[in-house]
Formats: sequence, C-alpha cells, structure tokens
Amino acid sequence: MKKLLLPLALMVTVATAGEQFAMSDADRAMYKEMLENNPADIFVEEGGELFEELGDEKALAKFLGVSEKELPKYIAGFPRYIKKLGNVVGIDQVLQAMQVEQGKEKYKLKSGKMFSMLAYVKSLANDEQFTIDTKADEHIKASYDLGKKTFETARGGRGLSCLSCHSADIVGQVLRTQPLPDLGKAGAGATWPAYRMTKSSLRTLQRRFQGCMKNALLKVIPIGSKEMVGLEVYISTLAQEAKQPIAIPGLKR
Amino acid sequence: MKRSIKNITLISTFVLSSSVALIASDLTKAYDMPDASKLIEKDLLKEPTKFTMPKSCNLDDAEAIKRGEFFFHNLNGKKAKGKAPKGVKKFTEKKGKDGKIKKKPKQFGNCVACHNIEGAKGGGNIGPDLTNFKKTYLDTKTRDAQFVYQKIADARIDNPKTHMTINLTTKLFDESEICDLTAYVMSDKKPTKEK
Ligand code: HEC
Ligand code: HEC
Repeated sequence: MKKLLLPLALMVTVATAGEQFAMSDADRAMYKEMLENNPADIFVEEGGELFEELGDEKALAKFLGVSEKELPKYIAGFPRYIKKLGNVVGIDQVLQAMQVEQGKEKYKLKSGKMFSMLAYVKSLANDEQFTIDTKADEHIKASYDLGKKTFETARGGRGLSCLSCHSADIVGQVLRTQPLPDLGKAGAGATWPAYRMTKSSLRTLQRRFQGCMKNALLKVIPIGSKEMVGLEVYISTLAQEAKQPIAIPGLKR
Repeated sequence: MKRSIKNITLISTFVLSSSVALIASDLTKAYDMPDASKLIEKDLLKEPTKFTMPKSCNLDDAEAIKRGEFFFHNLNGKKAKGKAPKGVKKFTEKKGKDGKIKKKPKQFGNCVACHNIEGAKGGGNIGPDLTNFKKTYLDTKTRDAQFVYQKIADARIDNPKTHMTINLTTKLFDESEICDLTAYVMSDKKPTKEK
C-alpha cells in the first residue's frame, strides 16, 4: 500500500513545481482523481494503528471522562479546556498526555506519527458539526480571544496579519493567481488534517497556519503554543458558524 | 478513593515540591505547550510612520527604475529568475554561530502578488491595478511622488486599515530601495500585450 504512494506523490510534485501558486489543468485533473482516492487515507489508517496501541476509543473516552457513544460529538468540541491538563488543548496534546500516563514516550507534536494519529482521532467525528462552546468557561473564552487577536496582529517582515489576506472584504480576490478562500465556508477548520498535494504529505491545521506564516514572512510560531491552539479554536468556530461538517482527511491543492 | 489520591498528591507535592511533574496523577506537564508569546512580541509591527521622500531619490534614473522593477516582480532572491540588476544582491551573507558563512535569500517586494502592472505575470487584484499609473495618476496630478513613496514605505498613514505590505517601517527595504520602487511605479512604461 505504502509503495504505491511514492510514485503518485512524486507525480504531484512534478506537476506543481512550475508555477508558484497556480493550479494547472493537470493539477485539477489530478485533484479530481485524488478526491476519490485520497492519498491521506493511508496516513489515517496508520494513525488508527498507532491509536490502537494507546487503547483505542475506549481508552480515550475514559481519559476524557465521557462515554464511547458521546465521543464523536465530544471530539468535535476540540480544542477545549481539559481540567486535568490545566489548559485549552488540541487532540494531539491529549494524545501526548495519554502516552505519558501510560509510560510511553510521547510523539513530538510536529511529528508525522502525531499528524497521522491526530487525523485518525479527529476523523472519528466525521460528519459531525463542531460543538465548540466559546462561552463554556473562562479558559475557552480566553483561548478564542487570543486566537482572534493572533489572527489580527500585524507582524513580520512585511507587516501583514492573517486578516490582511483573509478578511471578508478580500475573499475571492486573487493573490498571485491564487483565489483567497473564505476560511469559514471553505470549512478550513473541518477539513484539516488534509493531504496537501503541493507538499505531498499529510498536514494538520496548525501546520497549515505555519505555511501561511512562512510565506507571508511572519515569524513561524510553534505547534501547540497557546496562540496556535487559540488560532485553531478561532478558525474552527468559523467552520462551525458556516455549518461545515468535519470531513477528515481533507484534500488540498 | 479519588480523594485519597489527591491527598497523597498534596502531601507529596508539599514534601517534594520540585518534582511535581514526576507524580503520575499530575498531567499538566505531560504534553508540549511551547511558548510563542516572545516570538510574537519581537515580531510585532511598529507604529505607522510618516516618511519624507529623500532628496537623493532620482526618479528618472534608468538603473533605479530597473532595480524597482526587479523588486516589484520578485518574491525573494531564491525564487527570482534571471540576473539581478546592477546594485542588487539576491543573497545576503551572514556568519552563523558555527563560524560558517550562511547565504540568506534577500526578500523582495512581490508587489505583483497584489497588483497588476505592465508586464506582470499572474498579477493579483487585492491592490489597485497600477498599469498606466503615470497617465492615470501623475499626468492628472491626482498623485505625486511623495504620495507614492509614503504608500510603499508605510501605507497605513493614509489608510490605517490597509491590506498592503509595509515596506520601510519593517526595514524590509531601505530608503534608497523605496526610491527605486517609487521610480519604477511612476515611470512611463511601454504598454505590453495582454497576457
Ligand atoms: C499574504 C497572504 C496571506 C496571509 C498573510 C495569510 N494567508 Fe492564509 N492563505 C493565503 C492563500 C493565498 C491561501 C490559499 C492557498 C491555497 O489554496 O493553497 C491561504 C490558505 C489558508 C488556509 C487553508 C484554507 C483551506 O482551504 O483549508 C488556512 C487555514 C489559512 N490560510 C490560515 C491563515 C492564518 C492563520 C494566517 C496568519 C497566521 C494566514 N492564513 C495568513 C494567503 C495568506
Ligand atoms: C498584500 C497586498 C499588497 C501588496 C503585496 C502590495 N500592495 Fe500596494 N496596495 C495594496 C492595496 C490594498 C492598496 C490600496 C490602497 C491601500 O489600501 O493602501 C495598494 C496601493 C498601492 C499604491 C497606491 C495606488 C494609488 O492609489 O495611487 C501603490 C503605488 C502601491 N500599492 C505600490 C505597491 C508596491 C511598490 C508594492 C511592493 C513593494 C506593493 N504595492 C505591494 C495591496 C498590496
């Protein structure tokens, strides 16, 4: 199965290497084909195997103090405040805590294994609407506020903020051949982790944020930081407002 | 049961306060949450700044216009195709911690990401079309050099909510490079065939 992926991934790289941002007709055709057979499925499957080592849904539900039946809806509420972790956290950070509690070595937040496992666990909530309640407690409220602030703060070599390219009045306009998506309607929060064709790999939402930061010369901040978790809360609530159901793994240009 | 665990934790926390993280029931340090606030703090954009176009700015200098054109159409020294015009370096060299010289691509304007202009390849439309700028804005006296210079240097002065990049306040470019860009935008360009 994995051997199949490589030539395919290579093809994608070759096909997209020419233009910096654009999606060529060849890419579009490839995209259509991949929609039916998302290369990320393999990573999600691998993530499922890693998750099994932690004890599966049963162990996760127990760790989170919910029933297995409630688990999908509960997962659709991440990032959320987890009392015993003392913070608003992402699913990946919960998985780290489970690993530590079980005496295992925790995966790095930016590791491929963690991306895969995160994708699998989030996919348990597929077809659910986000259930983030930003008024549930002071912690999630603060996290949302920090995320929104981070989104709107201009910085870096070009003095840009996320809002510079993702504010409502710009959606649909073109940045060097690349139409700017409405992050809510595009369901960005609901469709990452996704297979990123231009990177030939599975990427998470926070990893995607880093991509925009790097491109726009904003200093790249680390995955799992309060600001990153806050950004994820903020972007996910946009998908929630736009009623975009969770659909993991996504497929992106 | 739960309470007794808590009590044990409390007592041992009291006794061994430095090894809190080692206690199995405390998971608050079991996951990574790196600090980003310092990174962001250092990266923040300075207050909107007014600039006066320096007298040394020679807007008719053909070489300045060439440099401005190069800055306008390219993202950085690594991506830029072709030879850089006289006086422009694609890379800067810096001594790393290991004493080795490190090449870093110089960042350019990438103005074309947001603006169409004569000869633009894949120009964006977030900013206004700058094609025919001289005829439309300068010959009609709607704009002058100082306006263009300030706009490129720090666009927030006449539009606090601008979506445009900030180029001088951020030190992405220096004064003479802003002059080059101003000269290029204002120059009389040959019309190009539609792409
Ligand atoms: C200079 C412009 C620019 C800036 C600044 C910028 N972005 Fe983006 N962003 C884009 C473009 C263009 C795309 C679409 C690219 C594509 O489809 O490959 C995009 C895509 C995204 C996506 C993926 C959307 C999807 O379809 O799933 C996310 C999430 C995102 N941006 C978040 C951010 C965040 C968070 C920041 C700030 C840290 C930011 N962006 C800053 C231009 C920008
Ligand atoms: C991220 C988008 C973006 C980038 C990159 C950008 N601009 Fe702009 N530009 C704008 C917008 C939007 C405006 C409209 C006025 C405003 O908001 O300040 C503008 C306005 C201008 C104007 C004034 C036009 C007029 O009304 O007379 C000039 C000149 C200009 N830009 C030049 C540049 C140059 C030179 C660069 C590169 C160094 C650049 N721009 C990069 C978005 C951008």
